[in-house]
Amino acid sequence: MSVKPILSIKNLKKTYPNGVQALKGVSFDVKKGEFLVVIGLSGSGKSTMLRCINRLHEPTSGNLVFNDGKVEKDLAKIEKPAEIKWLRQNVGMIFQHFNLIPRHSVLSNVLMGKLSKTSTLKSLFGMFSDEDVAEAMKYLKLVGIADKAHIRADQLSGGQQQRVAIARALTQNPQILLADEPVASLDPATCHVVMDYLRKVNQELGITIVCNLHFLSLVRQYATRVVALKGGELVYEGDPKNIDEAWFEKIYGAGAKEVHIN
Amino acid sequence: MKSYVVRRSILDGFTFAFLIASLAVWIINPTDEQALNMRVNVALFAAAFILGTFVSHVLTKLKVTTLGESLFQPPYKKNKEAVAWYKTFSAWQLIVLLVGLMIVSIIKTKFSIYELLNEDGFNGAIRLFKGIGSPNFDILPKAILNIIETIFMAFLATALAIPFAFVLSFVSAKNVMTGKVGFSIYLAMRTLFNIMRSIEALVWAIIFSVWVGIGPFAGMLALMIHSIASLAKQYSEMVETVSEGPIEGVQSCGANKLQTIWYAIVPQVVLPYVSFTVYRWDINVRMATIIGLVGGGGIGTLLVQYQGQAMWPEVGTIIVVIAVVVWAMDQASAYIREALK
Repeated sequence: MSVKPILSIKNLKKTYPNGVQALKGVSFDVKKGEFLVVIGLSGSGKSTMLRCINRLHEPTSGNLVFNDGKVEKDLAKIEKPAEIKWLRQNVGMIFQHFNLIPRHSVLSNVLMGKLSKTSTLKSLFGMFSDEDVAEAMKYLKLVGIADKAHIRADQLSGGQQQRVAIARALTQNPQILLADEPVASLDPATCHVVMDYLRKVNQELGITIVCNLHFLSLVRQYATRVVALKGGELVYEGDPKNIDEAWFEKIYGAGAKEVHIN
Repeated sequence: MKSYVVRRSILDGFTFAFLIASLAVWIINPTDEQALNMRVNVALFAAAFILGTFVSHVLTKLKVTTLGESLFQPPYKKNKEAVAWYKTFSAWQLIVLLVGLMIVSIIKTKFSIYELLNEDGFNGAIRLFKGIGSPNFDILPKAILNIIETIFMAFLATALAIPFAFVLSFVSAKNVMTGKVGFSIYLAMRTLFNIMRSIEALVWAIIFSVWVGIGPFAGMLALMIHSIASLAKQYSEMVETVSEGPIEGVQSCGANKLQTIWYAIVPQVVLPYVSFTVYRWDINVRMATIIGLVGGGGIGTLLVQYQGQAMWPEVGTIIVVIAVVVWAMDQASAYIREALK
């Protein structure tokens, strides 16, 4: 028996207003519960693809069929604000530069994850329910940063900020977590801490992860499956262990050298 | 047509037309009636302008670099060889233009060394300075009472302008107003602010003094209108420079437009907003003084009363009071803005 994929991307295309074709028809499936890593050079369309999935960017054409076993919906066809809200509740995201609100406290940042479920008026006065606050604290504990809840977000280190961002995304109770280069602006040691938390989220909470990464060594360590993009097209799909020298050159171009981080 | 060609033609057209028109006025020396005949004059100037653009075009075709060409030509056309400036056409065109402007403006402003050093006038000025130099401090309480009125006029104008400017700043920021409808609202708001700001507060004061009567209320309304337009423009420029990161972050949480503005944009702009607002109050105190001159109430009205009666010692007192308050406001606002950074 085959389980339907939680997200099925079909012929996804994106052309920017300036004429740049970022995605030239990408198709692949995201299976429920997997840790899928997307690799490729800068400009290969990885970030664009993630932003098309949660509609921060508008896909030009193609389908993004979401199916969690209860609801089946094409994310690319959604238009109403209420549906966009529903989509963002189910698909959380973390970013390379964390994208926290610098002047707000860590807790207030994590509570942003509840904005979609709080009425506009209440949220403008910062009136989040006690349950919401308790849930936010729960996820802050999960990423090991609960003691910093009342510190301003811009006073944390990069790695801590990324953990706050993970907690914020978890507070949305998503089924899929998109991660756009989550460790690209962190040092190698912190990098593993953040990746370990992502694995924990994946394994303990069962949240499906789609993660853009640069470093192949990280890919081999954390990914359960890999897809590779090159120039807006899918060039590889499979097991991370099968990426050999030849594939590496195909993805990153001849003459590229693999960099290891420990 | 390429936009740089248009800009070059307009600039060269105007410089040539200006020179032709000035020479024509000098040679013909028209009567008042002739000078006020707008239709003919506009037609003549337009003809001179068209002639100018034509000359500019011909010169460019002959590889002579006109002023417009040297200013606006795209980098790939730039001549790589260095030519001494006095051998270039554009330098001489600029010199002739500046000399022409200088001569015309000296004639137009009736510039006269004789008037400046004329004995009668000079003695009058000395009397005035003597009066101002020995202020009559008997009217100090009255002056202080009036400057308090001015300060509060400026304060209320600023305070009432804040909520309007705050809301309008988001409506007139390009990065908030996306989409076709949004962009047209953005354009409309920007145009409205530019019109509101291009009408001086002084003119607004004249309008409101007819509407609500002469006095501080008219002055306050004038300052408020001007402050709304200025603050909204400054605020919205701040909104346009916020970093995209937090906006994406909050949007990815499913926030709607209002929540995104409140949580991702407002925290980034609130400090510059406070800084601008304090500075605006400072500016408004100075403007309120001027507005008083046309009946906007406060210290300016008092000043114009004494000035009308040539009571220079009293005017001197008022100038001292204004100077002290403006200096103090200036210092205070500078300190506050420094502390907010």
